[in-house]
Amino acid sequence: MSDDVLIKVENVSKKFCKSLKQSMLYGIEDIARDALNLKTTSNELRKDEFWAVDDVSFEVRRGECLGIIGRNGAGKSTLLKMLNGIFMPDKGKITVKGKVGALIEVGAGFHPMLTGRENIYVNGAILGMSKKEIDNKFDEIVEFAELEEFIDMPVKHYSSGMYVRLGFSIAAQLKPAILIIDEVLAVGDRRFRLKCLNTLQHRLQEKIAIVFVSHDMPQVINICDKAILLEKGHETKIGLPQQICQDYDTKEFLDTFEGLNPSGENYISSSTTFKDVVYGVEITNVYFKDKENERSAEYRTENEIPIKIKIKNSKKREDIAVWISIRTANDILIHGFRKKINKNYISNIIDIDMVIPSNTLLKGVYTITCGIHKGINWGGRVHQLDQVLYMRIKNNDKFCDGIVNVKPIINI
Amino acid sequence: MEQELISSKELIWRLMIRDFSVRYRQSILGYIWAILPQIVTVAIFTFLARHRVFDMGETTMPYVIHALWSVSVWQLFAGCLIGCTNSLVNAGSLVTKINFPKEALVFSAIGQALLDFMIRLIPVISVFIWYGFVPSWSSLLIPFVLVSVLLMALGAGFFMAIINLVLRDMGNVISMILTFGMFLAPIVYPPPVSEPFNMVNYLNPFSPLLIATQNLLAGQELMQPQLLAVMFAVSLGIFLLGWRMFHITMPRIAERA
Repeated sequence: MSDDVLIKVENVSKKFCKSLKQSMLYGIEDIARDALNLKTTSNELRKDEFWAVDDVSFEVRRGECLGIIGRNGAGKSTLLKMLNGIFMPDKGKITVKGKVGALIEVGAGFHPMLTGRENIYVNGAILGMSKKEIDNKFDEIVEFAELEEFIDMPVKHYSSGMYVRLGFSIAAQLKPAILIIDEVLAVGDRRFRLKCLNTLQHRLQEKIAIVFVSHDMPQVINICDKAILLEKGHETKIGLPQQICQDYDTKEFLDTFEGLNPSGENYISSSTTFKDVVYGVEITNVYFKDKENERSAEYRTENEIPIKIKIKNSKKREDIAVWISIRTANDILIHGFRKKINKNYISNIIDIDMVIPSNTLLKGVYTITCGIHKGINWGGRVHQLDQVLYMRIKNNDKFCDGIVNVKPIINI
Repeated sequence: MEQELISSKELIWRLMIRDFSVRYRQSILGYIWAILPQIVTVAIFTFLARHRVFDMGETTMPYVIHALWSVSVWQLFAGCLIGCTNSLVNAGSLVTKINFPKEALVFSAIGQALLDFMIRLIPVISVFIWYGFVPSWSSLLIPFVLVSVLLMALGAGFFMAIINLVLRDMGNVISMILTFGMFLAPIVYPPPVSEPFNMVNYLNPFSPLLIATQNLLAGQELMQPQLLAVMFAVSLGIFLLGWRMFHITMPRIAERA
């Protein structure tokens, strides 16, 4: 193994048992086998067992940060625990060079009755720091956590944010060769998260290796050099974080979408989240004009995207407004706007044509949400269709990333 | 294995301090709870003995001293064993999420029992003074016997801690056995001399150690010198075996806890 590689994972697998009672019995069987030095049953699955991590391999070098993403239950935490030395792999080998520090359970060993000060010593001792080390770093720890005022208060009165700050702050003082982080940065306000990310960047510059598990895609893209996607224990993709995260977001969107909106039903009615039936105005159809009654379509960035909305009106009225919003797969609003329908155009059937101009949307999956309001000045909702259409945009341009083409004018 | 123990000695100490600080933080009577149950038990038995409700035979030292001392030594053993058995289960997510020598948790569990023993010496010494009883010089050898008691409890505790993680019944089973166990050793009665009752003197591994402390305290000749020597060896053996087994199986068990 070259000097540079700090973590090497080769074809590692781990199994778990589904049923609790079986698990206890298997536990006893495993102890007996270990104690008597008999061969273990690691290679096969016994009844009720399943592979939580299946044949995963990767390497992490000095100064590199690897991100691991995937759904809940994909095996991320299990993989981390193996890296941390808590679990032994059932198949394969893990080689680790140097001390491993883990931010898996922030505030491990914290006892609610003890004060922050006392807990720093306990937690530090559990993480392997000597009393002298803790004494030296005590002030730094309290300062980083911004808890000078509350350090002598029993921890049970801390807010969850304070708890995390203290836990992270203690672990951040460790200078291990390898740092493993499991979704702990989700809690904590923006300022604290920035501080944490800063600390991680510093450590990376000091040439440690980091393995980072998160559901927060922007964080992963920000700090990781490469990323792995885990699905049901299998390592399905490995590559640049940008790519992996986008693919993952897209896939998640489509999966969730299919789940909530079964095809076969009229998609107008299934995407209706609000309908005022007595008011007498409703959207009867929304579709991509050049794709004939389809709710989903694929386009390229260079294409124009024509959308048609048909509205039926059954009463004489003066004021209707339509509103439309375009969102990303993650439900981030790109552009939402309301438009008043001029009363000259209000009749029984109203046709609206909308075109998203070419070269606006970059690669990704986007959704259209539209609705009708009683008036331009927020008179109240009449009909709302959430994510009624979605489009997948492909882009050949390798030199740009993101959501919207801002069309900057550049002079060199 | 020994390396791990030496490197985690600070952790063990820190965990003991933690348990100690937490214990009586929110209670009023505080440390009195450490000694009250045993004092009550001894008081009840003394009362029963004095009024001949049970005829337990003569003890070499005044009955109260015999009972109080024996109960304290028993609690050292029992408290240590229960503490160790429950140490891993009580540590919660520490066992499954952080990598550190878990032996530290088991070792630190004896701290509580030791401290309680020290506290119990206060009423014991008070009773000595009351009765004008002066322990003989051989009492200085008692700590050696106590070390053996601790080793035995720790050794068994290692086994029980692991099993308790997987089969949660174990904690309750041990508690129950220890409750009965108190009557299976010459604690509230003097060592029996007649068959078949004197079986408790040698079938129960704790008895020889207990009897030795009683003998040393009273300044008598040791009643079971060979058995005592055997018990020293046995307790050391159980300790080493338990520790070894813990060391081997702990990784496997972290997955099942």
